Amino acid sequence: MPTIAKVWIEEDCITCDACEDILPEVFAVVDDSSLIKSDVREDGVFDRNTGFSAIKAEFRSEYSELIEEAADACPVEIIKFEYEGGAVEVEPQEVAPAVEAVVAPVALASDTGADEGVLSSVLSGDRSLAVFFGSQTGNAAGLAEKTVKRAAAYGLEGTAIDMDGYDQANFAAHKRILIITSTWGEGEMPDNAEVLWNGTCSTNPALAGVQYSVCAIGDSSYDEYCKAGHDWDQKFSSLGATSILEIKLCDVDFDEPWEQWVSEVLPRIACVDSSGVFHEELVEAMIAYGSGDEDDSASDGDFTPGAIIKPTVSLTMRIFRYDPIMAQSGYDTVAVALPGHATIEDALVAIKGDVDGSLTFRKSGIAGINPLTGIKANGRIVPADTTRICDLVGEGATMTLEPVPGYEVVKDLMVSYDRYDTARSNSKPWMDADPRQGERLASGEAMGVMTSTEAIRLHALADVGSLQLINAMSDTYDVDEVYSGPGVALQRWVRSQDSRSGNSHIKHMFDLMQGKGGVWAEADISSIHRHGIDGSQAADSLYAARARLLAEYKFTGKTGRLVKNYSRSVKMSGNVNETTLYRSVLGPLGLGSNIMNGVSLRMMLGFTRNGGPMMRGFQGMLVPPAGIGKMPDMFNSKVANHHEVVAIFNELDRRF
Amino acid sequence: MVKYSYYPGNVARQSSREVEDTIQPLCRSLGIELIEIVGYNGDGGNIIKQGNKDLQLALNARNLAIAEKNGHDIITACASAQGILHESLETFQKDPIALAKANRVLEKTTGMTLDGTNISTNHLLHVLIDEIGLEKIEAAVVNPLDLDIASYYGPHMQRKGACGGDDAWNPTYMEQLITALGGRPVDFKTKTSSVGNPSILSLGDSVMKLTARVLNDAKKAGAQVLVSACTQSHSNLDSYQGKAGRVANKDTEIPVVNLTEIIAFALGHFTDRFAQLRTRALIIGS
Repeated sequence: MPTIAKVWIEEDCITCDACEDILPEVFAVVDDSSLIKSDVREDGVFDRNTGFSAIKAEFRSEYSELIEEAADACPVEIIKFEYEGGAVEVEPQEVAPAVEAVVAPVALASDTGADEGVLSSVLSGDRSLAVFFGSQTGNAAGLAEKTVKRAAAYGLEGTAIDMDGYDQANFAAHKRILIITSTWGEGEMPDNAEVLWNGTCSTNPALAGVQYSVCAIGDSSYDEYCKAGHDWDQKFSSLGATSILEIKLCDVDFDEPWEQWVSEVLPRIACVDSSGVFHEELVEAMIAYGSGDEDDSASDGDFTPGAIIKPTVSLTMRIFRYDPIMAQSGYDTVAVALPGHATIEDALVAIKGDVDGSLTFRKSGIAGINPLTGIKANGRIVPADTTRICDLVGEGATMTLEPVPGYEVVKDLMVSYDRYDTARSNSKPWMDADPRQGERLASGEAMGVMTSTEAIRLHALADVGSLQLINAMSDTYDVDEVYSGPGVALQRWVRSQDSRSGNSHIKHMFDLMQGKGGVWAEADISSIHRHGIDGSQAADSLYAARARLLAEYKFTGKTGRLVKNYSRSVKMSGNVNETTLYRSVLGPLGLGSNIMNGVSLRMMLGFTRNGGPMMRGFQGMLVPPAGIGKMPDMFNSKVANHHEVVAIFNELDRRF
Repeated sequence: MVKYSYYPGNVARQSSREVEDTIQPLCRSLGIELIEIVGYNGDGGNIIKQGNKDLQLALNARNLAIAEKNGHDIITACASAQGILHESLETFQKDPIALAKANRVLEKTTGMTLDGTNISTNHLLHVLIDEIGLEKIEAAVVNPLDLDIASYYGPHMQRKGACGGDDAWNPTYMEQLITALGGRPVDFKTKTSSVGNPSILSLGDSVMKLTARVLNDAKKAGAQVLVSACTQSHSNLDSYQGKAGRVANKDTEIPVVNLTEIIAFALGHFTDRFAQLRTRALIIGS
C-alpha cells in the first residue's frame, strides 16, 4: 500500500471528532476545526496544515492506513492527503473501483511472484477454456457462466458454450473442456444437448489431447440420477479425452457441490499447457496463484448492482383502517415524503414506525417476496412488497391503500385468505394420477410422465405471481360468495390439462369448472385482464378453459346457449341479434321474469334514458315476447358482403 | 375535418339507437367526419371468444382490414368495442403468428389481408380530448349541462394503450369533458369497475350486484345523472337498474345516458330529449 506523505484539513470542519477517534496521534479536534498535531509534522506546527508540511518519515507507514480511514470517515470530506511521489487522494467514491482494478494485480504479483515464475510455462500461449452447458431450466447455464468468470483468476480465457447448435467435429479443437449438464426426465439429455449428443454418438470424433471434466446436476430421487453427465463422461473417455478430475454429481442443492468441483477443477485444468499437456506438479502453485485474486471472486456475478435511486416523492396516503373490536372503518390520511424507489411496504413500515404503531398489514418474508402482501393501491391489485411507489404515482399525488377485495378484512389492510384456501382444498387441484400401462419405473411401480414441452406449456397456463391476488382482480369475486375465484379456476384448469392426471380426476376438475362457482361464475373476464401481465395471463387461461368446457359439455346451460346463439346470430347476419339472444338464452321463463321484474317495462318505455321516440318502445310489443329488449330489430338485415362473414365462420368453426 | 372509420359496435344500430342518433350530429359539430366501414361485422363481444378465440380475432381482422383499406383510423363510441378492437389489433401487432393465421383465413374468405401497422382504434372520448381539444369543445357548447354528472368508464378500455392519454386506473377525461360541457363532474370509486355486461343473460344475482354497486356509488357521491362511455354496459345500468336495486338492496335509481347523448345535448342537438333528461334528473337523480 502506498504511504501518505502529507495530510491537511480543509475548511468547514464540523468538529464531529471522527478523525480524532480513529487516529488521535495525528488529529486533534478543537473548538472550530480538526488540526494536524505538531508531533507528526516536519514543521512542528499545530494547525490545519494548510502549508502542506510533510509527515515525519518515521510515522508515514504506521499511520497511512488510518489517515485514509479517517478521511473516509469524515462526513464532510475535508481531510485531504498526498501520497509519497505526489499523488493526491481523490474523492472516496472514486477510489474504490480504481483501487480494486489497479491494485489487485500488484498484490497478486507480490504475493505470488515466485509461483508466476514457475507457472510461466502454462500461463503463456493459448489459455482458452471451453465450458459447455446442457441446460433445461437455466441452472447449468448459470453455473457455466459462473465457472467462466472464476476461470479468469487462473489465467484462463473461458467461454460458456450452449450445446445447442454446436458441431461435435469442433470438440477436438479445444485442449481444455468442462461440461456442466443437467439430466431431464428419465435420464434424458436436456433439450439443448440432444442434437449434439446424438451427433457425437454417431460420428465419434477423436478427442485425444483434450483434457476435460464433467459436473452433472440431477435429482437423486430419480433412478437415472445424473445420467446425462455420466453419458458425456463415458463418451469423452471412450473417444480418447483425458479426465482431469472425476465427474462431480450434484443433487438438487447443487451450489455447494459445484463450488467444490469448480475450486478443484479450475487450478487443475489451468495447468494444461497450450499443447494440451497436464502439469500436475504445478497444481499447488496454481492454487496459490488463483487465490491471489480471491477478493475479485465472481461467484455472484462480476458486477456490483447499481443503486436504483429515484427522487423523493411527496404524496398523500389515504389508508383504509378497520377496527374489528369496534367494528368501525374509515380512512387515515398521512402526508409522507419517501424515496420514489421505496415500495408500498416500505411506506407502510415507515408509517407504522413513525406515525401509528397499530397499523396492521402483511409484511413480506425474509425471502423478500410474499404473494400474500397484496394490496389495492389506487384501484390496482399489487403485491405491496415488490411494487414501487414511483411506478404508481408521481409527485404530489394521492395514493389510496385498501385491503384487496373479495376477502374478509381481519384488521386495517390485512385480509384473511381462508376463502381461497378453503376453495382450493375442497377442489383438490393437485396431482392425482392413475397408473398407466407401459409407463413404469425400473422398480415396477407405475408412474406418470411429462415431456419438457408439456411441462412448460402447463406452467405457462398459470404463470402468475399470486393466485390469491388473481382472485382479488376479479370484480365478480367481490360480490359472489359462491364463486371460487379465477385463481382456483386456474389451478383446476392446469390440472385438467396435465397428462399425468387420472381420467377420473380430470373429469372431477371439469365438473368443478363447469359447475356452480366455477369458471362461468366470472361475470366479466376483462376486469381481470387489465391487471397487467398476471391478469392478462389469467384471462387467457380462463378463455381457454371456457372454450374447452363448451366443447366438453356441448354448449349446455345458459352460458352454452349464449355463446352458441350469439355466434349463430353473427353468422346469420353479420351482427348480433339481441332479440334472438333474449329469446333463446332466457327462454320463456326468463322473459317472464324480466316482465315481472320490470326490466322489460323499463326497456319498452325508456324509463330513465332518453332514447328515441316512445314508439320504438311500443314496437317491442308487437310480437311478444320476441321483441322485448332495448328495442332491437326483430330481424337483422345482412351486412354488405355477408358471405365473407359466413365463410370466416365456416373456415374456423362449423359448430355455429 | 378529421376523418375516422366509424365502428358503431354491436348495439348502436340495434337496441341503443340513441347512440347512433347522437354521434352523427355531435361529430359534425366538432369537425369529425365518420367514414362508414362498409359491411362491418360484430366484434364478437368477447362472447364468441369464449367458444373460439381465433374466430373472434378473424372477425375483428375483417373490420380492421376494411378500415385499413379506407385509410382512416377507427373510432367507436363503445368502451367494450374499443377494448375488443384494441386487444385484437394489439395481438396482431405483437404476434406475427396470430396475424398470419388471421390473414390466411381473411385472404381466403374476403381477398383482403391486414397489415395492422398503420391503423389505430380509438374511443370517441379520447379523440375528443387528445385530438379535438377541450377548448374547441367548450367553444361549441350551446346548452351547458348544468347537472351533477358521474362518469362510468367500465373496465374494457381501461388498459394502457387503449385509453389514449388518459390514466387507465384513475381516468379523468370524461370529468374534464363534462366540465367543458358546462356540467359538474362527480367522482366515484367504481367508475372503472365491471357491471358484468357479457354475462347479463347468463348470470343472475352477481351481475345485478355489480350493476347496483356502480349505480349506488354514483348516487351516493351526489350525482344526478350517470353517463356511460360503454354502450353495452348502458343496458345493465339503465334497463336493469330496478332489478339490480332490489337484488342488492341498494338505492340505484338514477338517470343513465350514453356519452354521445350528453355531448350532443350540450352542443345543442335534441333539445327535447335534453329537457326530458333535466326533468328526470330533478325527479329521480337527486
